[in-house]
Formats: sequence, structure tokens, C-alpha cells
Amino acid sequence: MSAFLEIKDLHAKVGDKEILKGVNLTIESGKVMAIMGPNGCGKSTLSAVITGNPTYQVTGGSILFKGKDLLKMTPDERANAGVFLAFQRPTELPGVSMAQLLKAALNAKRTFLKEKPLDAVQFMKHLKVRATALGITDEMLKRSVNVGFSGGEKKRLETFQMAVLEPDFCILDEMDSGLDVDALKVVGGAISVMREEKRSFMIITHHDDLLRYVAPDKVAIMRDGKILQVGDKELVAKVEEKGYDNF
Amino acid sequence: MTISKLPFLFNRQEKVLIHHPDEHEWQFIVQERGELEAFFLPINQNLKVSVILNGAGAKSDIKCAYLSNENNDLKLDIQVLHKVKNTTSNQQIKGLATGESSVLLTAGIEIPKNTNGCEGYQNHRGILLSDKAKISATPQLEIWSEDVVCSHGSAVGPLPDDELFYLETRGLKKSQAEKLLLSSFFNDIVPGEFRTHIKEWMEQNV
Repeated sequence: MSAFLEIKDLHAKVGDKEILKGVNLTIESGKVMAIMGPNGCGKSTLSAVITGNPTYQVTGGSILFKGKDLLKMTPDERANAGVFLAFQRPTELPGVSMAQLLKAALNAKRTFLKEKPLDAVQFMKHLKVRATALGITDEMLKRSVNVGFSGGEKKRLETFQMAVLEPDFCILDEMDSGLDVDALKVVGGAISVMREEKRSFMIITHHDDLLRYVAPDKVAIMRDGKILQVGDKELVAKVEEKGYDNF
Repeated sequence: MTISKLPFLFNRQEKVLIHHPDEHEWQFIVQERGELEAFFLPINQNLKVSVILNGAGAKSDIKCAYLSNENNDLKLDIQVLHKVKNTTSNQQIKGLATGESSVLLTAGIEIPKNTNGCEGYQNHRGILLSDKAKISATPQLEIWSEDVVCSHGSAVGPLPDDELFYLETRGLKKSQAEKLLLSSFFNDIVPGEFRTHIKEWMEQNV
């Protein structure tokens, strides 16, 4: 059986600058993998390349997701196959409400899976349960996506979208930057609730804030465009104690 | 699509004098404490609007949504003159151009000398939906008085890549993402009764 996610010798550049210089990484089904590394090591680029961001050009290597070649798929095909990215800096969509976005997204996924679209009642029910759990108000659902929200609110809204869309592979890019303790607990709680056998997480971070609320199964240390070491969660303490220079 | 009449809407009141030789050309004179609110929707049509704020406390709020396609040439000219002190104007202009069409927008605010206490705002956003479409926007601000508040902004370009990508990561095809962004593009300026015109235009041209 193929691995859940298998990245082999992945190279990517933006413009002329090579950022990923041969990334090798395997994530198993049902696991939480933390990717830790200093700023500028390529962590966010890795998430962008997995989701198909056209800003980055892949120059070598492969990404297999449940046996499928992700690099041959468009960003929407990857999303509908189960890949989700909670953005470090979520994009503002003036004029598009969160409810509108999620209805379009859920129906796109259901069309992809050859299921009927949700009717208005089912859709609102699906949204409301998750909104309540994450402290998302009706007013936040009606407002333009990410416009005029605080940093913490944007991160909660990213987590909310993840809970609504129920993807199999959740990438959280620096979710803990700019989050206070209460918001960290909410985001950490949502991840814990969503942990299950068929779903894996990739938590990108440069410190241990979120990892105090979500215990990772494995930790990968990234530096200068490569994964240097993969270990168990004891690595987090090592990073906090000694920094990244010792890897 | 042919729309012979240029869709428009404005509030009728005594304090606003209106002169329009034809549907493409409008002149409004706003008297003391008069308030003008007007909306225009030129679809492959020219438009010339001139507003004179002619009495203290006069206000104008002009909204314009334009659409151009095929090889049409649109000329849009919106001018506001703050003729007296303590007058306020706002212009919000948004539009889409596709095919090989071109749009020339001149939008002006004039505040002459010694006309203190005026406020003038102008904002334009144009979206290019094809490689050959052109929108050229020339904001003209002639501010000769010092005690005024003015701001203007104009942005022309294709739909932003980051907005499209964000929607694609949520499972929408690029074409669906474009439609979602465009369907909400005019929401803040277009009154409800005009949205069907825009929807029809989009169905045929996007």
C-alpha cells in the first residue's frame, strides 16, 4: 500500500531562486507531522507547492498523495482530492461572504464526488454546528472573507473552513503566529477533534506554541530547503532548548 | 447584447436641477443643502456626467458601473465642480472590459481657490478580462484650495491571482472562482434592480 503522502527529492524555485533543494518526507495516514524550521527555510514554500500555487515552479521530484501524482493536478483537483491549506496570511475577498465561499466550496467537492449539492437547510446546519464550536458568529459568516478581521479571527476562520470542508490532509501554515492563548486552545481543540485514522495533519511552525495543544506524532526539522531530521515529539523540546543551529 | 437605453437611477428632488440633452449626457446642479445620488450603468455606451455643487452643504454621490466587450470604444467622463464652500462629493466607479474593447475614463474633481471646507473622494477599479482589452483611467484633481479633504485611487488589472488561488485551494475551478469574484464585484455600488443587466452581460461575455 502506498503512503498517505510521499514527497521525494522535491525541488522548487520562485523566479531564479531555488527554495526547495531536495525535500524528502513521508506522512502516514492518521498522523500529525510538525514541520519546524527557522524563517526562510522553505516551510511555507513546501505548503504552497503541495497545494499548487502557480508562483512556484517545481523543477524536480515528486509528490504522491494516496498514490496519486499531485503535481499533475490543478489546485482545485488537489483540494477536492482532500488537500487543504490553512493560510499563514489568508487572502481577502472583498464582496464574497464566508457563507458564499463555503457553499461554493462544499458543492464543488460534492460535484467532484458525484454527490448531490446540499440543500439550504442541510448546508446551514453543517455550518452552524462548527461555527458555534469555533466561536464564529453569524455576522462573521455574512462579512466579506478575511476583510477587516484581526489576525486571530482570520486564523479561526481558516480553522473553521477546515472543519466545514473535512479534508483528509490538513496543512496548517504558521497557524500559531499572532494567536493568543485562548485562540490557540480553540485551534488546537479543533485539530484534536478532527484527528482520525483517515486524516493527517502537517503543522508548519517555528516554535512550540501550537504543539503544546496538539501533540505531534512526528517532527521534521527543515533548514535551507531540505528536511534534515525526522524524529518523535522530543525534538520539539530540543529545538526550544537549543535552537535550529544544532541540526 | 443591445441595450438601447442607458440604465440610470437618481433621486429626484427640488434642490437638484437636471439638464440632459440625451441619455449619454447629464448635468446636475446641486443647490444649497441639496443631495444628489445617482447611478449609471453604461454597457458599451458613452457617458458624460457633470455635477456642479452650487450651494453650501450640497452633496453628490455618483456611482458608475461600466461593461465593455467585443471591439467597443467607451468614453466615460465624470466631472464634479465644488463651486462653493463646504460641499462634499463622492465618485465610485467600477467596470469590466473584455474582448478587444477599450475604455477611456476621465474622472475629475475641481475645487477652486477660497472654496474651503470641501471634501472630494474618488475611487475606480477596472478589471481586464482579456489580454486585448484596455482600460485607461485618468484621474484629474484640480485642488486650488488648501482647507480641503480629498482622496482618490484607481486600480486596473486582471482578477488578482492570490484571490483566484485562494478559491482554487477551496476546490473551485478557476472559471468558478472568476465567476464568484465577478458576481460580487459590483455589489457595493449597483442597486438591486440593475443586477440582472450585469448578470446577463456576464453570462454572454465571461
